[in-house]
Amino acid sequence: MLRSLKGLACRSLKLEQGCGLPTAAKECLSSIASQDVPTPQRPRAVFHTSESDPAKHTEQHEGRHYSIPLEEVKAVFPHGLPYRFQQQIQTFNEACVMVRRPALELFAYLRGTNLAHPAVRYVIYGERGTGKTMTLCHVVHFCSRQGWLVLHIPDAHLWVKNCRELLQSSYKKERLDQPLQASAWLKNFKTTNERFLREIKTQRKYVWGKRESTEEGRPLGEVVEQGLARVRTASDAVGVVLRELKQQSPLGTFRLLVAVDGVNALWGRTTLRKEDKSPVSPEELTLVHNLRKMVMNDWSGGAVVTTLSQTGSLFKPSSAYLPQELLGKEGFDALDPFVPILVPNYSPREFESCYGYYLERKWLQHEQARTEDGKAELQFLSGSNPRQLDRLAGPL
Amino acid sequence: MLRLIYTTTAVQRKNVGASGPEKYTEAFIKKQIEEFNLGKRHLANMMGEDPETFTQEDIDRAIAYLFPSGLFDEQARPMMKHPREIFPEQRKIQWGEDGRPFHFLFYTGKQSYYSLMHETYEKLLNVEKYQDQLIAQDLPLQKEKRNLAGSRWLTKIELEEMLLEKLSDDDYSRFIQLLQKLTDLPCSDIEEKYIQKFSKELPVQMQKVVIEPLQYDEQGVAFSTGEGRRKTARATAVVYDNGTGKMTVNGKDILHYFPVLQDREQLLFPFQFLGRIGKHDAVCTVSGGGRSAQAGAIRLACAKALRSFVTEKEVEFMRQAGLLTVDPRVKERKKPGQEGARRKFTWKKR
Repeated sequence: MLRSLKGLACRSLKLEQGCGLPTAAKECLSSIASQDVPTPQRPRAVFHTSESDPAKHTEQHEGRHYSIPLEEVKAVFPHGLPYRFQQQIQTFNEACVMVRRPALELFAYLRGTNLAHPAVRYVIYGERGTGKTMTLCHVVHFCSRQGWLVLHIPDAHLWVKNCRELLQSSYKKERLDQPLQASAWLKNFKTTNERFLREIKTQRKYVWGKRESTEEGRPLGEVVEQGLARVRTASDAVGVVLRELKQQSPLGTFRLLVAVDGVNALWGRTTLRKEDKSPVSPEELTLVHNLRKMVMNDWSGGAVVTTLSQTGSLFKPSSAYLPQELLGKEGFDALDPFVPILVPNYSPREFESCYGYYLERKWLQHEQARTEDGKAELQFLSGSNPRQLDRLAGPL
Repeated sequence: MLRLIYTTTAVQRKNVGASGPEKYTEAFIKKQIEEFNLGKRHLANMMGEDPETFTQEDIDRAIAYLFPSGLFDEQARPMMKHPREIFPEQRKIQWGEDGRPFHFLFYTGKQSYYSLMHETYEKLLNVEKYQDQLIAQDLPLQKEKRNLAGSRWLTKIELEEMLLEKLSDDDYSRFIQLLQKLTDLPCSDIEEKYIQKFSKELPVQMQKVVIEPLQYDEQGVAFSTGEGRRKTARATAVVYDNGTGKMTVNGKDILHYFPVLQDREQLLFPFQFLGRIGKHDAVCTVSGGGRSAQAGAIRLACAKALRSFVTEKEVEFMRQAGLLTVDPRVKERKKPGQEGARRKFTWKKR
């Protein structure tokens, strides 16, 4: 009765060096609208819902996957999905997200927001790899379906590190511009919020240079075009957009959702240096400065949902995940009255659901992975951590 | 042409052929024994003990105390033993003053071997004669089986030491065959004493490791402890029943303590082998060593703790799988003249 020794072949394979971004909820894209293969719709198992509108997700759907149509993915999430998840979408040809409790909690809060009151700030925090970014994306999808204007900054850490070009800002002498990041963001912003950009009008005149200026009353889209065309002024364009939205949101024509991933980057340190090799502090960056103003709760008519992220953060130990540790004193005081939302590892039910999803998509090829023992092994080895499970299931 | 060759006195001696091991004379050995006894009394005095009742164990203890040594090899440490044990026994001169050998088989070359064969054969004939006597008297032949399983014959080297003579393999096998023939006879009990001279008891079988019974804590949950080590890491594990498969190491979850998959696989191994992955909880403490060593130590500790939960057969399977053995590999010592334990310095041709 000699049992066979462990059959997982992980040891010999090096795990991929994916950008380990938290990947908790899986985005399933059930192609009900666009069926490539005209097979009869076989009943998808227990861990699926056909409910593709996040607004209708309730506790009943907890632990189940729902899918987002691929066109919507391109429209709503041009940036912002974790890298590994994007690869998964390409592999499975669908984007399936798991409905989890923190997201449902947020939906409840957002539905009950009083637009007259100042914006409430929600901070999603948790250990590495538990699904904070995915929760944020779920919330973004929900809000975009509801018709909110979504201001989604995919990863604030990208703005404080690895920046090649730093220009001195023309607007304020001490500040530094980041044209590349700003223009990339503007492009994506345009894709998400096309219709809003036509409707919202500027409230004062902005002068970009000697010959360019934007008059009062022009649609915001023009400001964005200006930023894209003249890359030098992109950061200022971003600043203008943010200020306009902040001023106009209390008027009530639209509801504004500010979704920032990795908000702890705004108050940490940067790895950038000026030409005289002195370190740059975050306040000296235009983008960061404007974003900080956005995240303050001095405007009303919307909500601010942020995520803390240790993975991209600079100079922070890897075991830190609490808001106090990652934000630092300054950040914590700035964000102070906020609603913390903890994202835990998978519960046993969620684990089963994720495992079942992988099985159904034939992602787990190993015979032993299909047995009960294999499932127990996977659960033990991954510690029910979504990212670990994802990386483990890869080579199998 | 004269050439002066300067030589030392050592070289001027004739080139003597390399002699065998030094021959110790009787007088020399006697002197050594006297010195040993005197030294023993001095040592006893030094240690403040009674010289009359100073045993060999006391001597060993005293020497270990006075000359502490960190050498691993026991034989290399300073020792003080009776000269008989230190100087190997040597054959005395086999012939008298007139050149005539003492033993009648001297000229065979292997006198002790042949005399031994003769003796053994004599015993054999004895036993056969006794057997015939018993048959003549119609008495039953005794059949007390000797315990063959617990003993073995002397090895060739041991026999050589006993006879102080070189043997060939053939000789040795013939002698053993003769002994075997002797023991196979039913009435060989009369020569039991003689046979015992050439047999040795096998060491006692591996002591059965006592498996501790399960202990129960306040809530009535069964638990059991185990200890493990690997390289320099030492670990203790307490495995509880009715668990969910959670493991804590030094207060932290295994996912945080062992970020590397390989270490977690090591921890998983004992549970997976027994098929009890989600059934036990474990709380472990570990110190020392590196990442892999700690993982291996905890693995051993868990396996040992799991023995109490499991049947004997499964314990045997675990032992065969290597889950219960301490891994003896430690870091090998660096040797002088080499860069590392095995690596030599770069060889330069010139």
